Amino acid sequence: MKTELTISTGAIDAAALAKCREMGKGMGAVICFSGVVREIEGDAPITAINYEAHEEMARHQFALIFDTVEKSWPVESVRLVHRLGVVPVNEPSLWVEVTAPHRAEAFDACQFVIDEMKQKVPIWKKPIPA
Amino acid sequence: MKVLVKFWSYFRDHTGCAETALELAKGTTLGETHAAVLDEFPKLAGSKNSTLKAVGLEYEDDDFVLSDGDEVSFFPPVQGG
Repeated sequence: MKTELTISTGAIDAAALAKCREMGKGMGAVICFSGVVREIEGDAPITAINYEAHEEMARHQFALIFDTVEKSWPVESVRLVHRLGVVPVNEPSLWVEVTAPHRAEAFDACQFVIDEMKQKVPIWKKPIPA
Repeated sequence: MKVLVKFWSYFRDHTGCAETALELAKGTTLGETHAAVLDEFPKLAGSKNSTLKAVGLEYEDDDFVLSDGDEVSFFPPVQGG
């Protein structure tokens, strides 16, 4: 399984990422998920979220998650981008792409990656009030 | 033995520092280290039960026995995405 992980302060360009996709001819499903900063955090309006990570551990924990995906589903590739630093409202903080032969495993693997990330990958957010 | 404890996210606001070096007896567990840290930084006590603990890059349980030179991280529940 091919994996690509980017953790950076740069803006996520989903169109550019899609353009770089390399997909085998046996693949029939591509799932792309973008997690976008909402204007409300809890009950309070915000302008942005400041993301912080224990980056070395985050990379390791993502690698463990990708290992589990490889053992669990016939997935061809997982690409994941998580933005750090200040991410304004309406901009993506997370982008995940999974390619697989069929949609069921692609959806399941994508959901798994995000669920596991939210349990194990040391990234934290600090909302910036409006 | 010497162990370096690092704090992440708002735990740093509670401790006023990013890390602290501890001199611990050989055989000290991660849970005992957490208790020592709570004594030194009582503002972390409110988050005692939700604190996540790692040694190096791996999550570990309270009964994990630390070694000289280990780097321990304490942090609140993660919030990626």
